[in-house]
Amino acid sequence: MDRVLGLVLAGGRVDELQALTEKRPKAALPVFGCYRFIDFALSNLMHAGVRNVGVLSQYRPYSLMRHIGTGEHWDFVGRSRGIRLLPPYRGLHESDWYKGTADAVYQNLSFIDEFKPRDVLIVAADHVYRMDYRPLVKYHRERKADATVSFAMLRSMHSRFGYGVLGSEGKLTKYVEKPETPPSNLVSMTVYLFRTDVLKEALRTNARDATHEFGQDIIPLVMKANRVFGYRFKGYWSYARTVQAYVQTNRDLIRGRIDLKQWQIRTNLLERCVRADRLPAWMADDVRHSVISEGCRISGSVRNSVLSPGVVVEPGARIIDSIVFHDVVVGGGAVVRGAICDKDVRIGREAVISGESDHDQGKKPECATVIIGKGMEIPPGTQIGAGSVLYSSATDVPPDIAPGSVLR
Amino acid sequence: MKKQVMAMLLAGGVGTRLNILARHRAKPALPFAGVFRIIDFTLSNIANSGIDAVGILTQYKPLSLMDHIDKGRPWDLYGRTRLVEILPPKTGEASSDWYRGTSDAVYQNLNFVAEVDPSWVLIVSGDHIYNMDYQPLLDFHRQSGAAATICLIPVPEEQTHHFGIAVLDGDKRIVDWEEKPRHPRSDLASMGVYVFDREALGYYLARAARSGGFDFAKDVIPAMLRQERVCGYRFDGYWRDVGTVDAYWEANMDVLNDRVDPSLSTWNVRTNLTAIGEVGDQPAAKVGSRASVVNAMISRGCVIQGTVRNSILSPGVVVERGAVVEDSVVFHDAVIQERATVARAIIDKKSVLGAGVIIGAGPATPNEKYPSHLSTGITLVGKGVTVPPGLRVGQNCILSSSDALAFTKARVVPSGSTI
Repeated sequence: MDRVLGLVLAGGRVDELQALTEKRPKAALPVFGCYRFIDFALSNLMHAGVRNVGVLSQYRPYSLMRHIGTGEHWDFVGRSRGIRLLPPYRGLHESDWYKGTADAVYQNLSFIDEFKPRDVLIVAADHVYRMDYRPLVKYHRERKADATVSFAMLRSMHSRFGYGVLGSEGKLTKYVEKPETPPSNLVSMTVYLFRTDVLKEALRTNARDATHEFGQDIIPLVMKANRVFGYRFKGYWSYARTVQAYVQTNRDLIRGRIDLKQWQIRTNLLERCVRADRLPAWMADDVRHSVISEGCRISGSVRNSVLSPGVVVEPGARIIDSIVFHDVVVGGGAVVRGAICDKDVRIGREAVISGESDHDQGKKPECATVIIGKGMEIPPGTQIGAGSVLYSSATDVPPDIAPGSVLR
Repeated sequence: MKKQVMAMLLAGGVGTRLNILARHRAKPALPFAGVFRIIDFTLSNIANSGIDAVGILTQYKPLSLMDHIDKGRPWDLYGRTRLVEILPPKTGEASSDWYRGTSDAVYQNLNFVAEVDPSWVLIVSGDHIYNMDYQPLLDFHRQSGAAATICLIPVPEEQTHHFGIAVLDGDKRIVDWEEKPRHPRSDLASMGVYVFDREALGYYLARAARSGGFDFAKDVIPAMLRQERVCGYRFDGYWRDVGTVDAYWEANMDVLNDRVDPSLSTWNVRTNLTAIGEVGDQPAAKVGSRASVVNAMISRGCVIQGTVRNSILSPGVVVERGAVVEDSVVFHDAVIQERATVARAIIDKKSVLGAGVIIGAGPATPNEKYPSHLSTGITLVGKGVTVPPGLRVGQNCILSSSDALAFTKARVVPSGSTI
């Protein structure tokens, strides 16, 4: 795409995802079996023809660095194509961690200058969506906009998003972060397109302020003196920043609201243990309404669940309404219901995990999903109640874990 | 370069007996166990045995193979002194032209062997399914002081007439060699895997070529047996030559039913995941709410709404509602539409079986045109063939042309037909 530089915001840890983001940034969290969240942003940039991309990251970037590799999986390699990971660095004065999304970009203005782009496309790495950015760029340039903010239309209202109100010709007339009563159904997707000089000016001005976030600080700042437009995106967009939203996003896949074959999302195929050279999934006789990755061996039963590569379900074991990451082993006779099991978890024989399920009416699903941290060993016969969270740092797993327990 | 050992991989076979499965591709490029190609097994054996210089002798439709091999990168056989070289026939030299046989292919590339400069040359074939560490074989060869060592596998007596059979003395020296005997004196069959001392190989290849011999089994080995010490190395694992439709289908079923020993998941077979149109960029498989999957291997990108039993599906296969796939091997991106029924078939890439099609109905009449290829009930549907809705197809059929099928007025293709 002509003179557009892509920047991917991949720094955030996201507390609300609890044990799942204990040791990885949200951008590196597995989703839909074989992807990581950042794959959606990177694939969108690739399909739109963006040639150069910077990835801003600071929370435990190792898994991201390994995942992005040379960028070849998204074709970001060549003499005029590339992808750089931009972690914080120590400068001459105050080195410093990124103090916010805007500060992260501010500290990398020299990276932007290297490419002399006309516009900078800034996108978050932690959303599930398939968007062609080219119509957005066209819209932005046709209106001679200084900045354009992309909005998704959400049916349900939450106070956690940034909301916009659009005037004639799509001009952004109002923008509010996390309002108690949303002024519209237009939610910011954290997809911003800036004219480079306008972006640089705003970041320099903001650098003197106390907070440094795009939504909260930069958008209101540029709206004061510049032409800022809103762009309506009509496709599927999922925020997936809470356990409940993450579970819902996976359900949307099972139920066919997301057509991943159409989306053509790319991922690092060669990353150790992800998909490389695994056999096709083998199923004995009892899998329904589920998404199953390569290398799974399923002797037991699976319903309404998403399994990452290499999951083993032993005879008599049952997985219901759950999301199971790479290489988890579920022992014979165990029941995993309404749970998210991180990589390499071992569920002992006859253990029973009773998290939320579709049929639970009483409880709020958000607090009912059980989360089991990476590599946890659950001894045979253990009972785990709804809403429990077991961090991988927990050393002792008692035989009976009451609902809502948090083990660290 | 000076290496201790290098491998020359014979991948030039035409694969006539695989019929239409090998018509659009070289035999070693044929898909196997859903996500692999047959050549992956031998290449992985080479890489896993620590051999890092490989020549691949191709001549029949080598393009898809070249993409797949990608200079050896998927097998980590890529670097300044780690290499995989594709060696197609060269023209320009007096007698060169096409390879006239297995030993001729190696003979014409002795300059490549000289470049690598190994002490021993391992000759392997690209169309076998097995898991073998070649290091114990090389150790055996070194210790035996033989000029050549031939890998042997015990086979049941009724199969000896397909193979070269070796008779060993107490020192593992081959004292007699029978090519395809009816009444064998031994049950040890040649696997087509040989180790040669490099000088001996050069000498006997040149000698065979001068006397018009171009084949390892027919010309080179018998000549060496007369004048050199040639030993036999016994291999007891799972090994199959998948050069016929029956053998290919059965080897797939062996994998599905875990009859390979040890289990395939422990073989460390690698494949090329990134070649265009390969297995890589596909989401996880979806199994629908009314689907039934019984003892089946399902690859990424498959969408199953119907029934799949005792079958292996390559990436991207769609089985629509009410369709039934049984005892079959289905290649990449084939579509089995609503209510179609498939029994005992091999469906090639991107084929479309229309709604209500039945495959495998009727008597087990052998194929009329190729009775030696198809007689056990397996029907072949060629690459990209569209079978019109409602067509009833018998056993041992070959469907290789969409056009002919579209123009046929008949509602039935009887068993044994070729279209």
